[in-house]
Amino acid sequence: MESEDEMAATMMEDSEDEEFYGGGGGDGDDDSDPDDVVMDYDGFMDHDSDDSDDLSSSHSRSYHHRSQNYTILSEDDIRQHQEESITKISAVLSISRVAAAILLRHYNWSVSKVNDEWFADEDKVRKTVGLLENHTPVPDAKELTCGICFETYPLDRMSAADCGHPFCVICWQGYISTAVNDGPGCLMLRCPDPSCGAAVGQDMVNRLASKDDKEKYNRYFLRSFIEDNRKTKWCPAPGCDYAVDFIVGSGNYDVTCRCAHSFCWNCVEEAHRPVDCGTVSKWIMKNSAESENMNWILANSKPCPKCKRPIEKNQGCMHITCTPPCKFEFCWLCLGAWSEHGERTGGFYACNRYEAAKQEGVFDEAEKRREMAKNSLERYTHYYERWATNQSVDLFIWVSFVMAMLGLFWHIGPNMAELEKLSDKQCQPESQLKFIVEAWLQAVYPITCLSKLAGDMSMLDLLLQSKRPKAMVTKMNLSFLFLQIVECRRVLKWTYAYGFYLPEHEHAKKQFFEYLQGEAESGLERLHQCAEKEFQVYLNAEGPSKEFNEFRTKLAGLTSVTKNYFENLVRALENGLSDVDSHACGKAGSSKNLGGGSGKGRGGKGKGTTSRSSSSRNIDDSGHWSCEYCTYANVRSATVCEMCQQRRRTSQLVLVEVLTNEGIT
Amino acid sequence: MQASRARLFKEYKEVQREKVADPDIQLVCDDSNIFKWTALIKGPSETPYDGGVFQLAFSVPEQYPLQPPQVRFLTKIFHPNVHFKTGEICLDILKNAWSPAWTLQSVCRAIIALMAHPEPDSPLNCDSGNLLRSGDIRGYQSMARMYTRLAAMPKKG
Repeated sequence: MESEDEMAATMMEDSEDEEFYGGGGGDGDDDSDPDDVVMDYDGFMDHDSDDSDDLSSSHSRSYHHRSQNYTILSEDDIRQHQEESITKISAVLSISRVAAAILLRHYNWSVSKVNDEWFADEDKVRKTVGLLENHTPVPDAKELTCGICFETYPLDRMSAADCGHPFCVICWQGYISTAVNDGPGCLMLRCPDPSCGAAVGQDMVNRLASKDDKEKYNRYFLRSFIEDNRKTKWCPAPGCDYAVDFIVGSGNYDVTCRCAHSFCWNCVEEAHRPVDCGTVSKWIMKNSAESENMNWILANSKPCPKCKRPIEKNQGCMHITCTPPCKFEFCWLCLGAWSEHGERTGGFYACNRYEAAKQEGVFDEAEKRREMAKNSLERYTHYYERWATNQSVDLFIWVSFVMAMLGLFWHIGPNMAELEKLSDKQCQPESQLKFIVEAWLQAVYPITCLSKLAGDMSMLDLLLQSKRPKAMVTKMNLSFLFLQIVECRRVLKWTYAYGFYLPEHEHAKKQFFEYLQGEAESGLERLHQCAEKEFQVYLNAEGPSKEFNEFRTKLAGLTSVTKNYFENLVRALENGLSDVDSHACGKAGSSKNLGGGSGKGRGGKGKGTTSRSSSSRNIDDSGHWSCEYCTYANVRSATVCEMCQQRRRTSQLVLVEVLTNEGIT
Repeated sequence: MQASRARLFKEYKEVQREKVADPDIQLVCDDSNIFKWTALIKGPSETPYDGGVFQLAFSVPEQYPLQPPQVRFLTKIFHPNVHFKTGEICLDILKNAWSPAWTLQSVCRAIIALMAHPEPDSPLNCDSGNLLRSGDIRGYQSMARMYTRLAAMPKKG
């Protein structure tokens, strides 16, 4: 499976390359699409040679083998899909578009479900949804009495749904407004007459409601298409309007939105490989359990057993009905479905299912967890602090990156003349300098995200006013180095949650895990240092610099090594460190020696790299390896670094590879 | 605000006119506040509440009739859907099934209907609900009748 993925990835890459260069050159439109940018984590590393191999996109080759199993939908896309579904139903069932919309909403926007139900029993469907077959006209009289305010009005000030129950325009407005302000339940609006269930559709709302309410209603209408659909979800990033259409059951849940936010489609938390969703929610719950807020929610509310929204019960009986669109009916005591609360569950208010469960200790769990947290507070703090540090670093990287790029921006300025001047200064062909320029061009992108976060668009405007030559935008380099760092940080961060939940008694695993984690941390730190600190030097450098090229090579090497290490780390952790089980602790121990030492490990490494390079495009696409000590990029055949004469060291990633490979075979 | 006042005023006039028509319900508006009403309802016949007169307190929100009025029993009553201490009523039309086409009068009618047909499946008064759900109709009825006598009937002597 892996190799197939790879093939596809490579092919995709090639074709996209062609597209870039075929269409290419320096002209063309200015609106480079930042979407392409998002996926490309490793454009950077291919940059030792010239333009011809600067692979700008490799969608499926980011961290994990990612065959695109999701689509990002913009608001326009959503509207279009929605319209298409409505058109389809309206045509097939020959009903009005409004009626089609009501039907579709009721069946969670599943066209096939509507068709099935409708043709199975049209009358039943009409009844449950409130679609009348015949339109009843409003009684023919000069004046009518409104059923809400009891005033009499001339006919033209009255309005009615298909059922013909007349209400005055003002009362309709109030009625719709109340419903709209009550939430998405307004999409299931019915005639105000208690004995009548006729549906009130979008046309009436648009005709009768105030401008604000209309907007809100249409907003809910659009949202419903995403929220009621099992296959789509909104990107959870603040201020992001994109939705993600996901092919359910296609494995990997990691999704990257067009706004650059990576999240887990399953639990909508941020992307959290290698940790699973359950652990993440436990971990997040645990972190926030300290806060007063969460304490209050825990003490005073229960999550709806179906949609998980917290519910506070402040009055009424134990028969709870969740607010629309969920509408799940359940028992407050046992959180079981109300439909199961009949005579056979005892028929008593003191719900015996709860009693039974309590006796079995099911409900003690939350209590127990709190207890345990107290006992192991120290252990927890250890992990939490490290987790949180990596969390804050995330934003910090962005900020510092943007700042650096902004600085560069002011240095170079947006026009080509300046650029040429700088290219003279560095005595490099212009194409090489693009390396830097692209970086700040790409900075536009993170700035978009950042300023969105900060709610301040001025920085972005500033940048957008400048003209951006397209050729440069298509090549991405530096920003992916930073994306890479961010992604690695994220993985590292979640390994702390992983560590916290690693069973205390599995010593071998724990040791191995901590070792891997430590290596990952120092590797990333090295890359980060190199990128952040050393880069500054070249920004301000005067005159030509040979070191600049070396710096680039070094950075490229480091990036690829780190990236690979993390890829393997993720894989190993997702396997539950199974190698440790199967190969006993001795293996881990001995490999440790390999890793720590120098020469001895080479045999293992050789095996590791060869067997992998065929299946996954590892270390370096151009066949280079990066020296552990001076980071010089050596040709593959070299065993000793050309620069510093150090022997090629078995990097830890190779160690993991060996283990993984052996685990597989 | 204005709308609710106008509507309540209409209801007030309607009540004056209908008083004789529905002898079971006596709706009275507070002298100084049109948003406060009280009602006296007769316990329906063939129920343990027969012969009792129960007082209800209405508190009407400003958004009425788009929002439901708040109603509770002032008279103590033993009924599965009425809170024994506070008099709070668990009735769908007073919560999510409210429609602006309902009136105070029709709410009273609905409450009378609820007295005749208790919903022991979603009880507010556990003891009462449990009696009914376990099939102890006699037990429920005698309790309900006792409280009707104690609280909802004029004291003799």
